[in-house]
Formats: sequence, structure tokens, C-alpha cells
Amino acid sequence: MSAPEIVFQEVSKFYGEVLGVNHVTLRIPSGITSLVGPNGSGKTTLMNLMAGLIHPDRGVITVRGLSPRDPERLMRITGYATQYDAAPRGVTGLDFVTTGLLLAGHGKQEASRRAWKSLERVGMNEAAHRKVAAYSKGMRQRVRLAVALAHDPEVLILDEPLNGLDPLVRAETIALFHEFAAQGRHVVLSSHVLQEVDVISDRVILIANGMIIAEGHVRGVREEIHEHPSQYIIRCRDASRIAALLFEQDHITQVQVHEDRLGLLVATRNQREFSRALTRISLAGHTVESVVAADENVDALYKYLIGGGR
Amino acid sequence: MTAEFRLRQAWTIARLQLRRVFFSKRSSWVYLLALFPSVPFFGHAIEVKLSQSRYASRVTAAAILESIREGDTDEEVLKTAGEPVHERKFRRGPRGEASVEYRNLIYFDGERRWFLHFEAGILQNKRSRPLIDFEDDRKVFAGVFQYFYLRLAVFFGCLGIFMNLFRGEILDKTLHFWFLAPARREVLLAGKYLAGLIAATLIFATGAALSFGLMLWPQDAVELSAFWRAQGPEHLFWYATAAAAGCVGYGSLFLAAGLLVRNPVVPAIVILFWEGINGILPAALQKFSVLYYVQSLAPIPPPMDANAPALIQLLMSPADPPSTVAAVCGLLAVTALVLWIASRSVQRIEINYGTD
Ligand SMILES: Nc1ncnc2c1ncn2[C@@H]1O[C@H](COP(=O)(O)OP(=O)(O)OP(=O)(O)O)[C@@H](O)[C@H]1O
Ligand SMILES: [Mg+2]
Repeated sequence: MSAPEIVFQEVSKFYGEVLGVNHVTLRIPSGITSLVGPNGSGKTTLMNLMAGLIHPDRGVITVRGLSPRDPERLMRITGYATQYDAAPRGVTGLDFVTTGLLLAGHGKQEASRRAWKSLERVGMNEAAHRKVAAYSKGMRQRVRLAVALAHDPEVLILDEPLNGLDPLVRAETIALFHEFAAQGRHVVLSSHVLQEVDVISDRVILIANGMIIAEGHVRGVREEIHEHPSQYIIRCRDASRIAALLFEQDHITQVQVHEDRLGLLVATRNQREFSRALTRISLAGHTVESVVAADENVDALYKYLIGGGR
Repeated sequence: MTAEFRLRQAWTIARLQLRRVFFSKRSSWVYLLALFPSVPFFGHAIEVKLSQSRYASRVTAAAILESIREGDTDEEVLKTAGEPVHERKFRRGPRGEASVEYRNLIYFDGERRWFLHFEAGILQNKRSRPLIDFEDDRKVFAGVFQYFYLRLAVFFGCLGIFMNLFRGEILDKTLHFWFLAPARREVLLAGKYLAGLIAATLIFATGAALSFGLMLWPQDAVELSAFWRAQGPEHLFWYATAAAAGCVGYGSLFLAAGLLVRNPVVPAIVILFWEGINGILPAALQKFSVLYYVQSLAPIPPPMDANAPALIQLLMSPADPPSTVAAVCGLLAVTALVLWIASRSVQRIEINYGTD
């Protein structure tokens, strides 16, 4: 077998009529991979698919060569901290982690030894004997991480693992991810905000409306976003003259003059260069009345993804 | 992964689940159902015991009571038989001279109560009944067991326990923890079923034994020890076994129902209806029911009024009850079929808390 990967081939998942994810094809090598996208974009859907909690309507998924339909083997090498903030009634943190290990087939002593170790790793050993229901949000987040870590999995899937963590704990948690990744394991995590994860991730997968819109190393993804063609409608006096000036720029991919000669539709690959060019044109004495993004939604989405959106 | 590994895993799952079944708030009413038939038998026992102690000081020899004849006057009777344990006087008819005085006297001879009814001072009617009738009580128990315990208490108890094995965890949003364990879904199903079965059997076999014990409690010591030396232990065993068998069958049905449908009311009504009309179905269809097998395991047939309409009689007791061995095998076959269906659907089940 080649290098262990998580592979999605043409995977689609619908919840009845509602689209979960559509035509997803991905190869995720080991290391830290972040799924980034706004609410409802399909991050949790992808993770649930990987862990076999839901099944695809179309396409094939394998996790290090194993099918998510075979939990007996898959879950031996996989730990998944879900976004569901629930724990069985009345259990303590220690019980919670131990239970998972007992289910995995460890004896009582081994299970509690490992549970302690795992709770220590996430800095929760002091609260181990308290009820999970009485934990704070961040503590519940950490104890779920401890459950996912406890059996030392090869593949760690974490749905918004940094949510609700204070800066210190966050730094420790991130260190933990690096430690895992350095051992050739998979760490797949999700976030709403690219800035939160871009420096810590080996690769980033941007997802919106159930589709992968960019993936790769962080820098590559940033460039891909900058180069995503956006369209603008410009209202001005001498449309043809401005069209000619704009067309000289190499980031401009398309210029169309409106019939009334008072408007232009422009597509650019680089928004920053485009706004500089507009400034130069105005300074040169041409009147630009207004600039509006032609496709507000797509534009807003990309702005959101590259940062600032929170 | 060996079969032995999976068996052990199922057992681990059952153990972890068991605590939740026993202490779940959702199934606390199951205990009430199991205890319910004990209530009338306990009441009956207390009543008998109280009467016995109340009557103890006023026992009248049976021979004296035998000798009293219809036509005797109340004064004569009071003179020969002494003070009764209970007395009641009342008048009926128009006011004044024309009304008739009635008088009821009850005597106790140590075992039987004698009811004497006088009109205008003359004994009109004499009847005697034992204070407690073992034979009768056992029939009543058989009736309560068949018509209430098996058909309703065990039925709804299993609904409470087994529907919640999956449905309850979906409501609590904790089902995914089980699905994230390195266990096959069938193993998980088996473990959960086992946990439900252990809990339900313990609760309902104990409930049956307890009410049986309470039924026996006030009985005459001599009769009782004869009963224990003869068919007693066997009866107790079969009542407990029938209750357990009910849990095996209904448990599998409700486990499957909990996987297939969201609302417990619908399967409850459908299954209750199906089991209810079982007696009037063609013989071939009767075999696809839990009750058909389970009710034939009870040691004595329930009392049935010969005057009851034929339809009721049919509904209440199968025309052609299977032998014990056939009943056990049939029940296991039905259970295996239902569990197989459940194991198919547990493969397909997805974590979908939002919309459930
Ligand atoms: N159980 C469900 N039933 C119906 N639709 C669902 C269900 N779960 C998810 N969806 C839909 O699928 C899409 C993707 O949802 P998903 O939960 O994967 O998004 P997400 O990226 O994890 O969002 P968030 O950041 O809010 O967690 C959304 O449109 C959502 O409405
Ligand atoms: Mg999500």
C-alpha cells in the first residue's frame, strides 16, 4: 500500500432534499489538515462520513485503506471528537474516557491507566472525578478530546476542537496536534476561520455550500483565493476608454462594455491590483461613478474566508 | 477478529449499558408495572390476616353451625352459636308496622365464614365460604398473570426498556459514542439487547415471583406445604419463565421498533393489536406472535367464564396451544427473525440528531 491517506472519491451526501456535500474528491495525506468553511458548509458532514456515522449517497471513502462501514477495524485506528456537546448522564470525566477504552477492548486496569494518561495530556486530570455535566464548555471540549485521544489513534478527527478554549489551553492543544502529526498520523480538524488554523496546518481545505473550493498548502490556498476571478460592474462616463485602460492590466481577465456605453463588466484575478488600477484611472482624470461587485455572495464568501470574517 | 473477541465485546457493551437501563429515569415506571399485580395480592393477604386475628377470639364450632337449620329464629341461633363475628340489621318496605326487619349474622368456625340471613327473625338462607380458598386464589393469579401481566405489564415494560436502547440515546445525543467504538454494529445490537434482556427478565421474573409469593402468603400452612412438596416449585418456575420469555420476545420486537420508527406509540399500538387479535388469526399467522408461545408456558390455564362470548374466548386463549418445547423453539425462532431484521437496520442507521 502507498502512503496512508484519507480518500474521498466523488462523494455526495444529501439529507433528504438538503445538500450536505456534493462531488467531493479529496486525498488527505498524514499531517494536520484543516477543513475551513462557514456554518452549514459541510465540515461536520465530511467528518461524519469519514467516521462512518453517516453514509454517502454516492462515492467511496477510505480512511488509511479502511472503509467507514467497518467500525470494528476503522475505530481501532480512529479517534473522533464530534461537535455534539453531550455526555452520558451522570458520568465523571474519568468514567467517560474509561468507557471508551473498555469498549475498545481494554481490561479495566489498562483502561483506567490510559484514561488517566489521556486526561493528563489535555490537562484535565484534576477535574477527572467531577461530573461531565458540571464542566464548563471548554472543559467538556477538552474531555471529548481526551476520549478521542485515549486509544492512541492513527487518525484523529476533531470537529472545531479549538472552540471555547482559552489561549493557554489552545496553545497546548495545538502542540498536541503537532506532536501527533510529527509521528506520521492524521490530524483532521475543522474551523470557521482560516486565520485560526492556517499557521498550524500543513494543509487547508476550504469548503462552502458542500463543495471544496480550494485545497492545498496554506500559502497556495491564499494565492488561489487572491486569484479567484471576481466580477465588478463599473459605472462611468467614457466606458470604452476605461475599458481599454483596464484591458492593459494582466490581472484583468475580461472586460465587457455595456450597450449604453455608461457601464462596464470587469473580471479580475487580483482585487488589490484592480483597485490600484482604478485609483490610477481616476487620478488620470476619468470619472468613475461607482464600482459594485457583480456577484456579492461569492465575493463576500471569499473575503470571509481569507480573513476578517468572524 | 475472532468470535470470542466479539462475544466478549458484546458482554462489555451489555455491562456498560446495564447500569443505564436500571437507573434510567425514562424506565422508572417499568418497576411500577412489575410491582402492580403484587398490590391486589398483598391487599388480599392483609385482609385475610386481619380477619383471622379479628375472628380468633370468637370462633364457633363447625358442628354447631352445621346444626342450624333454615326456619330457626335469630334468638335461637344467637343462643346456641353465641356472639357472631359480624352482625347487621336493617328494615325494608313501607314505614311503620308493614316493614320487614332483616338481619345478617356472620360466624367463623376457624376456617370458613358462615353467612346467615334472617327475615323477620326467621333464618331464610345459610351459606358458608372458606375465609381463603387456595384453589380459587391460584386461578385468580393465573388470570392476572395471563390477562394483565403478560399482555400488558411485560409488554409495556419491554417497550419502555427496549425502545430506549437506541431511541433514548438519540434523544440524549449520545448514540454516536457507541458507534465510535471499534465494534461491529451487530455486536453493539447484541450487547444492548442482552442488557435490556437481563434488566427486563430480572425485573419481571422478580415481579411475577413476588406476586406469586404474596398470593401464597396467607394460605393455610398445611395446604401450602403440600403445595410446595407437589407442583409448587414447578409453577413458580414456569411463571417466572413465561415472564422471562415475554421479555425475550417483546424485547426483540421493541428493539427493532426503536430502530425503525421514531414514535413509540405507533409500534406499540400495532403490536398490541396484532398480539390482541392473535387468537382469531389463521393458525399459520398465529405463529408470528410472541403471546401465542408465551401464554402456553404459564403452568395453569387462566379462568375463563364458560358464558363469555365465543369471540372473547377465542381471543383470550389459543385454540391449539403448542407444547412447551415447541413454544420455546417457536419463540426463539420469532426472536431470531426479529433480531435479524434489527441488525439489518442498525447497519443503516445514521447519526442525525437534528432532525429526529
Ligand atoms: N441532520 C441533518 N438534516 C438535514 N440537514 C442537515 C443535517 N445535518 C446537516 N445538514 C445540512 O447539511 C449542510 C452541511 O451541514 P454541516 O453540519 O456539515 O455544516 P458545518 O460546516 O459543520 O457547519 P457548522 O460550522 O455550523 O458546524 C447544511 O446545509 C445543513 O443544514
Ligand atoms: Mg459542524
